[in-house]
This record gives sequence, C-alpha cells and structure tokens, in this order.
Amino acid sequence: MTLTSKPLAAIVLVILFGGILFTTAMGWWQTESTKQPAKFITGEFSGQANPADIRGSYTFGDVENNFGIPAATLAQAFGVTDADPAAFPVKNLETIYAESELEVGTASVRLFVAFYQNLPFDLSDDIYLPESAAELLKGQNLTPEQAAYLENHTILVSVAGSDSPQPASTPAADSPSAPAPAAEATHTTDESDRAIKGKTTFGEILAWGVPRETVEAIIGGPLPAPSITPKDYCLEKGLSFEDIKTQLQAEVDKVK
Amino acid sequence: MITIFGKKIRLFRPRSIWLRKVVQFFFFGFIALIAINHTLVESGGGIPFLSTASLHALCPFGGVVTIYQYATAGTFVQKIHESAFILMILGFLLAVLFGPVFCGWVCPLGTVQEWVSKLGKKLFRRRFNNFVPAKLDNVLRYLRYGVLAWVLYMTAATGTLIFAEYDPYFALFNFWSGEVAVTGLVILGVTLGLSLFVERPWCKYACPYGAVLGISNLFRVFSIRRVEATCKADGACNIVCPMNIAVDTKTTVRDHQCISCLECTSEAICPVAKTVVFSTPLPKNAQTLPVLNPRGSK
Repeated sequence: MTLTSKPLAAIVLVILFGGILFTTAMGWWQTESTKQPAKFITGEFSGQANPADIRGSYTFGDVENNFGIPAATLAQAFGVTDADPAAFPVKNLETIYAESELEVGTASVRLFVAFYQNLPFDLSDDIYLPESAAELLKGQNLTPEQAAYLENHTILVSVAGSDSPQPASTPAADSPSAPAPAAEATHTTDESDRAIKGKTTFGEILAWGVPRETVEAIIGGPLPAPSITPKDYCLEKGLSFEDIKTQLQAEVDKVK
Repeated sequence: MITIFGKKIRLFRPRSIWLRKVVQFFFFGFIALIAINHTLVESGGGIPFLSTASLHALCPFGGVVTIYQYATAGTFVQKIHESAFILMILGFLLAVLFGPVFCGWVCPLGTVQEWVSKLGKKLFRRRFNNFVPAKLDNVLRYLRYGVLAWVLYMTAATGTLIFAEYDPYFALFNFWSGEVAVTGLVILGVTLGLSLFVERPWCKYACPYGAVLGISNLFRVFSIRRVEATCKADGACNIVCPMNIAVDTKTTVRDHQCISCLECTSEAICPVAKTVVFSTPLPKNAQTLPVLNPRGSK
C-alpha cells in the first residue's frame, strides 16, 4: 500500500485533532493543573495534601482551599498588596521579589505552608522566606530543626515597588539587629477589617499580631491548628463563642 | 508523463511536497497563536475560542519526560498535564505507522529551521548542508540520544521540567515572556544560526524528542522504499534529503534520522514514477518488474 502526501497529511491531522477531540469528549484532555496537589500516601500525614506539590500556577485561593491557610494570611506573609489576594498566582512572587538576590517564589510558599501546618517537608534545599513570612511562622509549633532552618533562611527583602529602604536579600540571621520595616511595609490587611467573625481563623488572629500566649490564655488551652476557627473551637470545647470572640477582639484592637 | 527507454518520466513535476509546507505553516501559526493567547490571558485579555494552554501542555515530549514520575508516583512532572501525555501517545501512534512524521510535518521548530535554511541554500548553494565532515557528522548524529538520556535522568532525579531551561522550542514561542531562561534563548539563537549552514541542526544533533521518534524508523509500517529496478541512480533523492540520508543505496530507508518528509519520493524530486515511494513493504517482484536497469545489471 502506497501513500502520497495528501492522504498522509489528512491522516496526520485526523489522528492529532481527532485524538484531541476524542480525549476531550472523554474528559481526559486537561491542559491545566487540577489545582489539587498530590497527597501524602504513607505515614502519619497520609491522605493530606503535600505542600511540596504546590505549583506556580496555583493562586493563594487554591492554597487556601487545599491547605486551609487564608489567602489574606499568605498575602500578608509575602507582602502581596492585591485587592483580591485569593486570585494572586503563586508564580507572580518571583516578579514582585525580582530585586532579591535570593529567590522568593513558589518554593517559598511550599516551605511556608509546610511550616504553618506542621507538614513534612524536605529541607535539604535552600529556600528563603521574607521576614514577614518568618514572623508569622514564629507563632507556630516549629520543631527545633524547623526553627533553625527558618532562622538561617529568612531574608530582609523589599518588594518591587515598595518604598521600603531595605537592601535586597540580606539574610536576617546575619544581621540580627537590623530592623525589618519591609515586613511592616508589606502588611496589607486593612486594619478596619480586623473583626473576628465566624470564618476568622486562629492563624489570622496571630497574623494580626496577637501573641500566641494571649490567645491561649483566652481560650484556656493550647492553640489548635492555625486553620481552625475560634467558632469551631468553641463549639467543640463547649465554650461560648461570643465571650471568646469579645476577648479576642479586644486583643486585636490593642495591636491595631 | 512520457516514456523514455522504458521509463515513465514526468515532464512537469513538483520538486517539493507543497502540502507539507502548508501543514507546517498551519501548525506553526496554530501554536504561535496559542502561545500569544496564553500570554494575553494572563494579562487579562485573550483571543476568543482559542486555547489558552501553556506550551508545556501542548508538547508531546513533556509526556515522555513525565513517564518515570507517572509510573512511580502516579503524578506528572510540574507544568506537565494530561494533554502532553495524550499528545505523546498520539505521536507514538503516528510514529509506529509513518515514522517521525511529527518532526517532518508538525514540529514548528523544525519548520522555522527549514525557513532559515532557505536563506542558507541561496547563500551556499551546493555547499549548504555539506559543511560537517562525514565522519564527525556520523558521530554527532548520536548526540541526541545522549541529550535524551540526560533529560530523562535529570527530570526523574529532580522532579522538575529541567529541559524547559534549554528548550529552543519553548524559547521560540515564549521569548517575549519572562519565563524563558537565557540558556534556552542562546540555544535557539545558535540553532537558527546553524540553520544557515546545516538543514535542521537541532533535529539532527540534539533533539531528544526526535531521538525518541527516530527509533520508530526501525519498525514503522510505512517507510520510504526505493524500487531498485527503475531507479536512475541520479542521486536527486540524496541531494534533497534534509537529513543527508543516502536514499539511493537502500531499498527501504531504516535510517534513524528519517523524518518522513517525502521530499525524496517520486511525488517530489525523483523523476521516475513509482520509484521512491512511501509504502508498506513492496511485493517481492516489484524490484525486478521494469525493463531496463540504468546500471545495466539486467
């Protein structure tokens, strides 16, 4: 059987586009990530989403959906000033930290999420976090290894377009006396919005500056996971959400 | 068509497979528009009814590099999606049937190299595509298997799309974005520069996907076949072959570099009808049918 160019061209087009149409009809053709990271398949965290699989195409909203960290907290950690932090693509961090000599990007978000939620994470690579993110993590139950890693991988870095006078990419551990105005300059949560509601998480309250010890004193026990809301915590513990809310709000107002 | 000394010779014949160039232009434009659309969508715009997929999602080689991770962890390498895997399978299907027809008819990087080479042909005429000494050329032709092994190993070891930083195809359709590594742009520039002297330099010496598809030349269903009995042995098929394959020394082209462009066939450069064809195995008597053999053996 001999083929000439015309039937060959037709067959090539039919196989390629026919294959695409067929797989589209079957629901197999995907050109984007499903925004669902791989899960741990063994060990204590089996079944939980693995932060190492966070992609640059994820938005902060996708991270919130998969890991329970509010997009506003992520925005605060990484100095993102967008009006809608949930729509901010993780890969855009590389743009806003373009002036940094040490990369702050998708890997930084993976590290932040892992530490924030106490999930396993490979620390063999050097991944850096801005001071603002490190500050938020200091309120978490970090292991000594994590704390040491964080100390050595925190950088004072200004966000592109920021008025911060910080020199780019100065490891914070090397200059402990250096102030960190960049972190403050990048805090973006509108202070007038700092009202504790049913959806507010303990993580957000910590991010707003309320000390961990103060929160624990109010709720009368150790701080639960940052993604838990005080409302859910109160329901579980049989506490009055209104009382706890009032006390927490007072502390939030103090640190505004 | 006239008959001279028992051979059917076309007086007016195309010297090239024009339809291949149309198909190549179509795929180049198609991929270019999608790449532009991907950029536009990220900045809030976009072309209606056109895919916004990233280039990684539309590259069959992405499917190849993710095979290991898919087999061991059930996930794709970052930036690779199901679409790349499907295109890889479709590419393999085409290759089993027709050889690396993807390289010769579809790949936009191959197309661009051919466009640049047109200038090279005008500048250097007969010397074009004959600059590299044969011995060195023969060795360099296997370099792409080394590139393939390196890419597969590094992708498996790192779990990242390591080749994106070096890929001239990605650089070609993303040079306007900030996603392209300098190495990719440099390799693209070198490839296009070399295309002035050598036909498809990237495909011949470095393309890892071409290396994968090239293996199909050993067992493909449809191959370039030469009917020795009617061959004039004028060497036209050798001269026109972009991959420098000596077609006139073979009855079936099994060279791992053939890209199924059909430029050597009787439909294009070969002046004798049904002498160089793209076909399934010919009947045994096909080699002895005609009357006169130009070499005088029969």
